[in-house]
Amino acid sequence: MSLVESKEKCVPEASWVPAERLKMINRYVVERKGSCISCGLCGSLCPYGVHKRIEGHASILPPFDQRCIGPSCSSNDFYCVKRCPTSSLSVSNSETFPALGDVRWTSEMVLGTWKMAETGKALPLDHPANVGACGGGFDQLHFRLPKGSKPVKDHEFTTAIDLNRRSRGPRVKIDLPIYGGGMSYGSVSLHTMVAKARCAQAWNTFTCTGEGGYPSELLPYQKHVITQVATGLFGVKEESIKRAPIVEFKYAQGAKPGLGGHLLYEKNTPLVAKMRQAVPYTSLFSPFPFHSVYSVEDHKKHLDWISSINPNALLSVKVSTPNDVEMVAVGSYFAGANIVHLDGGYGGTGAAPEIAKKNIATPIEYAIPKVHRFLTNEGIRDEVTLIASGGVRTGLDMAKAIALGADGVVIGTAELVAMGCVRCGNCESGRGCPRGIATTDPELMMQLETDWAAQRLINLYGAWRQQLGDLMSRFGMKDVSELRGRTDLLRFDGGKEVKA
Amino acid sequence: MYERYHIHQEVTAPRFRPVPKFIIQRAGNCINCGKCERNCVYGVHMRRDDDPRRMADPLSQFCKDCFRCIAGCPQRALTISVGAEFTSLGSGGWTPQRVTTVWNESETGKVPVFGAGYRGMFSGPGYDAMWTDMSEIVRPTRDGIHGREHISTNVLICRNPPFLEFGPKGELLTPMAESIDLPVPFVFDLAALKESTKGIMQGLDQAAKELHTLLMVPVDKVEAYGMDLSSGRVVPIVGDDAGNEVSKMPEQVRFIELSDANRLKERVKAVRAARGGMIVGTRVKADAELESRLVDIACEADVIHVLFDEEGRESGGRYARDALRSYHKVLVKAGIRDEVTIIAGGGIAAAEQVPKSIICGTDVVSLDDALMVSLGCRMCHSCKGECPADLANAPSEYVKGRVVNMANAWRDQLLEVLGAMGIKEVRRLRGETGRAIFQEDAERDSFAGIFRGDVIG
Repeated sequence: MSLVESKEKCVPEASWVPAERLKMINRYVVERKGSCISCGLCGSLCPYGVHKRIEGHASILPPFDQRCIGPSCSSNDFYCVKRCPTSSLSVSNSETFPALGDVRWTSEMVLGTWKMAETGKALPLDHPANVGACGGGFDQLHFRLPKGSKPVKDHEFTTAIDLNRRSRGPRVKIDLPIYGGGMSYGSVSLHTMVAKARCAQAWNTFTCTGEGGYPSELLPYQKHVITQVATGLFGVKEESIKRAPIVEFKYAQGAKPGLGGHLLYEKNTPLVAKMRQAVPYTSLFSPFPFHSVYSVEDHKKHLDWISSINPNALLSVKVSTPNDVEMVAVGSYFAGANIVHLDGGYGGTGAAPEIAKKNIATPIEYAIPKVHRFLTNEGIRDEVTLIASGGVRTGLDMAKAIALGADGVVIGTAELVAMGCVRCGNCESGRGCPRGIATTDPELMMQLETDWAAQRLINLYGAWRQQLGDLMSRFGMKDVSELRGRTDLLRFDGGKEVKA
Repeated sequence: MYERYHIHQEVTAPRFRPVPKFIIQRAGNCINCGKCERNCVYGVHMRRDDDPRRMADPLSQFCKDCFRCIAGCPQRALTISVGAEFTSLGSGGWTPQRVTTVWNESETGKVPVFGAGYRGMFSGPGYDAMWTDMSEIVRPTRDGIHGREHISTNVLICRNPPFLEFGPKGELLTPMAESIDLPVPFVFDLAALKESTKGIMQGLDQAAKELHTLLMVPVDKVEAYGMDLSSGRVVPIVGDDAGNEVSKMPEQVRFIELSDANRLKERVKAVRAARGGMIVGTRVKADAELESRLVDIACEADVIHVLFDEEGRESGGRYARDALRSYHKVLVKAGIRDEVTIIAGGGIAAAEQVPKSIICGTDVVSLDDALMVSLGCRMCHSCKGECPADLANAPSEYVKGRVVNMANAWRDQLLEVLGAMGIKEVRRLRGETGRAIFQEDAERDSFAGIFRGDVIG
């Protein structure tokens, strides 16, 4: 495929998608007192567009806080606070801002993700929103970037990866090394699922139904929808297996490895229950593990079962990251999997016991190089696609995962954040997400508009791809496959406290 | 008849208003439009009862940080911030998050379940720098969540014989020593609690009764606490005159602890002379010397109760995570690990630290500060002044309810961990360091060859 072709094919247009309901959450607060005479001087001064006066209006619009660069602006001539003739303006740090986010998803990171989702433009590689503050893993791994930056156009590099690297079966190529994670109908709303599917179609990649059935609203996008067979077998039907280009076996989920799925009763509404062939308003546990799998031979039997129903489907095996993750990966390969999908411990979830999120199974950063090296030594690395997920929060995390040895990544939380998630962590109970993303409550889910959400996702994917391109160009690379396994490009800053 | 172990939990509300994590403030420019009331799904924003034209003060304790009211306020009158009272909770290993988690567990008795992924530090000191293993397919039972009840959390406190001898007819010749079978791998250590009123002690006694576990109590305090040695729950801690003390005890006392390991041989001998068959434990402070004395101690005492400091360290040295692994190894090397029981206490501040301690090599975990936090203690260390939790007046039913709830939540979380690993008995977990991932090992293996520019030392 030539690069020009790929330009036409793989770069959907970004467009500006502002978020009315996110604009109040900002770093800085600009306040205008009642003494303002609406002279409009601030509007003509501010180069960032914080103040705007529309001709013919009696008074100036409320300040657009989001665009303000904060009190550090005071050294500029155009600092509105200093120049205001009636001293009506003040700029201060927002009290609310620190309440957003946490050490893994810092407030900067949430805001940066929103910005990329809004504009589709990549953040610079040294932007603070690219790294978290959790003091380990991706946050302590940095690229040893050569000096100088060359701007790179979106058609000058390729980020496509093969999902089927075996000699048989259909060729499946995705245009960027990302696809959407499995979020079931029930854990998230239909609007969220359809928005994800639209984004997957636009970017020629995939999204996943999760374990909760295949809603008919996804049928127009079926070439881009993976369906999941998980331990509860909720919503698994022959026709959905037949239409899926990829079938994913979920053995475990990183956030709750070994514990199975969990949908609390309040979110199991009649529609959800119907899709899952279950009783409404009962808590649904997807009982870990697969009750028909005791060994890798049984696992092969499982994969063969899907292959006999749909010989054209690629098989993906999603596993968590235990101590022997490399053995699991090799076993999956020999059983016939095309994709080995590792889900690390710090990934997202709709509901999980807190103890499992931190303490059971390792973070993805440790698992990727281990598996990559092991598969390489076994001589099978180039026949399997290694996908990482669970704690891939930013474009840079994605690049680091690839440099550690993955072929691509699966993202989930980042997509939700792009749709306006603030990571308050109340997806599991009551009516579900108060922001209408991870809920099936008919009233709450109306807050999320599918078109709006889809375009924000398309923007986010585009921005991440551009970040990857910028990074690759710094290293003189043209193809993302050159980056895979290049741990020599990384610097690890951690390990101090453990050594002491 | 087989009786299934079951902890009866009941919601036990806190005695004081909860400390809200997020504080919502409404500025004076509010126009009482009520948009926040419609937006909030948690009931933070309400109109005033006495004057429905005006908004009441926000009920911050219900706030879950979803930002809907903030985003929807036409006047930008609302702000949300992380409360100073919340961030000042706890000290050292007791982070505000840990304190409030124990409070919630003690209130409901349930495993904390939330949405979204992990939101804390990547790792941390001590037990935070390790992860427990899981298994993709191996299960203790094939019944998923319903199979948890078949996982055993029983542990034995006893001295095991190194081997068994049988006679020509297959009869057992080795005399079997006393053993105590605990249904949960934790005991309550009451020797150094921050508050020790009769109400609290009575409540803890009742909680231990409900849980079928033990209480370690200094022998001179037993009466003052209103406890009864003949209940069999109390493990008296005796001082120098051990033999004499033991001879006065009722026969229900099967396990005593010596207050320290001084003149150990002599004192153990005196106890055994006073009462053959008594399980004799010794409390030892974890410090740099302990490891070298451990084999000698193990030859005398049946049970070694290792006391780490409040931070879970060897008096400022190694963390229990590393110290316990060494102790375990020393005893394994000497060939006597299986003969003695190790109890480890000090610094246990969260449910996950129970299985982690056991993986590192202890048999039983003893709880101390966690019991206080369960009652509402904020670990503020201002016990001499006015206690914000008014622990001194905590009634015993409240104490019992809270502690039983916490124990139930912790046991259920232990089951989650065991279930994920595919281990059917907590005793199989002891010293199983192969079923855990230690940060330094993972970093050495996985990040080998990655340039480490800034590493010092």
